[in-house]
Amino acid sequence: MKRPLYESSTQYKNWRYSPERLSQIRSTMNEAAVGVIRKTFEAYEPGSSSNVSFVNAHEEHLLVTFYVHKISQLCGHFRFPEEVEATATSYLKRFYLKNTVMDWHPKSVMLTALFLATKTTNNPISLDVYASHIPNTVASDVLNLEFLVAQSLAFEFAVWHTHRALWGIWLDIQNLPDSPPDISKTQGSIYDSALIHVRAARLTDAEFIYTPSQIALACISLTAPDLAKKWLESKENMPVPENRTDIPPRPSATTLFASIEAIKSIITNAGKVPDVEAVREVDRRLRTCKNPEKVVGTKAYLARKAEAEKKAEEKKNKKAEIQKATGAADTDPFGDPLSEPVKPGLVDYDDDDD
Amino acid sequence: MANFEKSGSTKPFTSKEKPELQFLTLTSTTMATKSNYGWLQGRTVRKGGHSSSNSHTRSSTPQVQSTSTTIFGGGIKDPSGRTSEYFSMDDQCPVCKSDRYLNPKLRLLCNRCESCIDRLFTLGPAPCPICNKVLRKLAFSPQTFEDLGVEKEVAVRRRIAKEFNKRLEDFDDLRSYNDYLEEVEDIAFNLINNIDILATEARIAAYKAANAALTSLNLQREEAEALALKEQEDLERREREARAAQLAQQEQQERDERQREERELIDKLETSQKDAHKIVAKSRIAAAKRSSARAASSSANSGLLGMSFGADYAKLLKTRTNKVTNNVPDEPHVPFQDDWYAYDDLYTVRVDGYDDIISEAVRKDREGIMRAGGYKVEEAWNRALLTAVAGLDVVPLSGSDEPKSLGDADVVMDSV
Repeated sequence: MKRPLYESSTQYKNWRYSPERLSQIRSTMNEAAVGVIRKTFEAYEPGSSSNVSFVNAHEEHLLVTFYVHKISQLCGHFRFPEEVEATATSYLKRFYLKNTVMDWHPKSVMLTALFLATKTTNNPISLDVYASHIPNTVASDVLNLEFLVAQSLAFEFAVWHTHRALWGIWLDIQNLPDSPPDISKTQGSIYDSALIHVRAARLTDAEFIYTPSQIALACISLTAPDLAKKWLESKENMPVPENRTDIPPRPSATTLFASIEAIKSIITNAGKVPDVEAVREVDRRLRTCKNPEKVVGTKAYLARKAEAEKKAEEKKNKKAEIQKATGAADTDPFGDPLSEPVKPGLVDYDDDDD
Repeated sequence: MANFEKSGSTKPFTSKEKPELQFLTLTSTTMATKSNYGWLQGRTVRKGGHSSSNSHTRSSTPQVQSTSTTIFGGGIKDPSGRTSEYFSMDDQCPVCKSDRYLNPKLRLLCNRCESCIDRLFTLGPAPCPICNKVLRKLAFSPQTFEDLGVEKEVAVRRRIAKEFNKRLEDFDDLRSYNDYLEEVEDIAFNLINNIDILATEARIAAYKAANAALTSLNLQREEAEALALKEQEDLERREREARAAQLAQQEQQERDERQREERELIDKLETSQKDAHKIVAKSRIAAAKRSSARAASSSANSGLLGMSFGADYAKLLKTRTNKVTNNVPDEPHVPFQDDWYAYDDLYTVRVDGYDDIISEAVRKDREGIMRAGGYKVEEAWNRALLTAVAGLDVVPLSGSDEPKSLGDADVVMDSV
C-alpha cells in the first residue's frame, strides 16, 4: 500500500506537535533562556539580574501572536497575495518554537520572515523597495537575521496552507451531485466567512496540531455545518476503483468529528488579536530583559564578538602551523609548473605572408 | 566524362567548343557524404561558368577564373569559380622572362606563361627546355596552389581517385575497407614521390582490370547522389520563395483590407444616421472577426503548403540518413514510479471548469497573457483539491513525549 502524499512533506514530518508538547517546548525554552541571560547579566554586573522581571512563556506567545497580526497588516499595505501572508505567518510562528523573544525581538524577525516568504513563494520584491516602505528600517536590518531565520526553519520553506484547502473544498462542493449550479454566487458568503475563520486560525497553534484540510473543513463547518458534513460524507463514501490495491482506507467522518470540534473551539477561543495594551506592557518589560549579548553596543555584545574573533584567529594559526609542519606552504597549491617545454606548433601564427 | 583523358589530340581547345557535360555542385554537404576524393574528381563544367542553381558565381573579376574556357586539361576544375588561380606579383615565366608587371594578365601554367606554351607546343609534343621530358600541351594546367609539390600531389590524387572509388558499403567489414584504403594511399605515395613508378603503375592497371564493374557502378551512384542533392536544394529554394511570396501576398492583402475597411467606415459615418460610436464599434468587431478568420485560414494554408513540400523533403532526408547510419534499437523505457498515493481517486477536477472568484482573472483573460508562461487554471484547481483532501485522516499527536525528529530542538539557541 502506498503512503499518502502529505506524509512526504516536511510539514507532516517535522512541524507537527501535540498541544501538550507545544506548551512544554515553550516553557522549557523560556526557562533555559532566562537562565542564560541571568548568567550573562551576572557576569558583567553582579546583582543586577534580581531586579529584572523576565517574560514568561505565555507572554512570549502573546507577543508573537500580536506580530503575526501585524504581518497581515503589512501584507495588506504591500498588496502581497494571501500565500505570502500565510507563509510569513508560519515562518514567524515556527521561528519562535526554536528561539525566544528575549534573544530576538519579533519586530525584526517579522520583517525578515516576510521578506523571506516573498522569495520562497515566488513573489519576490526588491530589498530596497521593501525597506523603503517600512519606516525606520534599513536593508541590512532585514538581511542580518535572514540566515538565522532560515536556519531555525531547518531550511524547510514549503508550507501547506489552509486557505488553499479551503478553496479546494469550495470547488469540490460545487461538484456535489445535489448542489445548485450557481452555488458559487448564491452562497458565496459561505466561502467568505469561512475565509475569515481561516485568517483567525492563523493566529492560533492549529497548524501545528492539525492538517490544513482538517482546519479548512472546520472553518466551513463553523459557517455551514451541514454543508461540511455532506462534503465529508461524500468523500467517505467515494467508491474505491477496482484493482487499486494501493489506496489507504477512506477518511471517516466519525473519527474526524472530534478533531473538527477541537479545531473549532481553538479558532473561536484563541483566534483573536491580542489586546494592544497587554502587548505594550510585555514589550516594555522585554526591553529590560533582553539578552545583552545580542544587543549591539553593550559590553556583553562586544565581549562576545571579541571572543568569537579570537577563536577564529586561533583556528587560522593552528592551520598555518600544521601547514608549515608538513612543508605544505612551500608548494604551490595549484600544483607544480609543467617541466616540459612547449612543443612548437604546426601553425606558425607569426607568419604574416598571406 | 572520360573524353578529356582520351582527347590528347594536338588540336587546341578553343573556347568555342561545347562538350557535353555534367554538373557538379560543390557544397560542403557533398564532401561529407561522398567518398574522400569526390571533389577531386573534377567533373567537367558547363560552358561559360553559368551555373543556374549556384548563385555564388562571381561576376568577372580581374583574377582569371578556372573555368573551362581556359582550361587545357588537368588542373582543378571548379565550376563555381570560387577558387581563384594562385598568383603573386613576382611570377615570372622562366622562358621569356615576362612578369606581371609588364603583362598583368599573365597566366603561368606549370611554370610557363600561357603565350610561351602556345608557341612551344603548338606544333605537337616537344621536349621541355629545362628537364627535357617530352610534354604535351594538354598536360599543362593552371596552378591553384602555392606550393608546387601540393599541386603535383593533388593532380596525382585526382587521377587515382578516378580509379579507386570504393566505399565502405562495398566491403564486408571495416578491416578490409581499411586495408583497401591503405593500399590506395600506398599507391598515391609512390606516385607522388616518384618511388617505384613502374611497379605502381602496374598495380593500378591490375586493380583497374579487376574492379572495372564495381568502379563504374560507384561512379553512377555518385552521379545519382549529386543529382538528388541538387534537386533537393532546388526544392528548398522553391519552397522558400513560395513562402516568401505567400507572406508578401498576405501582407498585401491585409493592407488592402485595412484600407478598404477604413474607407467603408468613413462612408458609413458620412451616410448613415446612426450613432457614430455604434458604427465604429460594429466595424471594429467585424475587423476583429475578419482578422481572426484570416489568421485561422492562413495557418491552415501554410500548414498545407508546408506539408506538400515537407513530405518530399522528409522522404529525401530519410533515404539519406538510412544510408549513412545504422538503426540502433531503443532500450525499453521504464517510466518513473514512486511510492506515494496522491489521492487521485478522491477527487476529480470538473471538466468544464468551475466558476469561482479566485480564478476569475485568469479565466476572463481573453488574450491569454496570463497563460503565456504555461499557466493552466486546471493545475491550480488540481493543487487546491489535492490540499483539500490531503491529510484528512491524519490523527493529531497527543501526549508530551518527544517525537524522534525533534532531537535538535534547542541547539539553535546555543549555537548563536
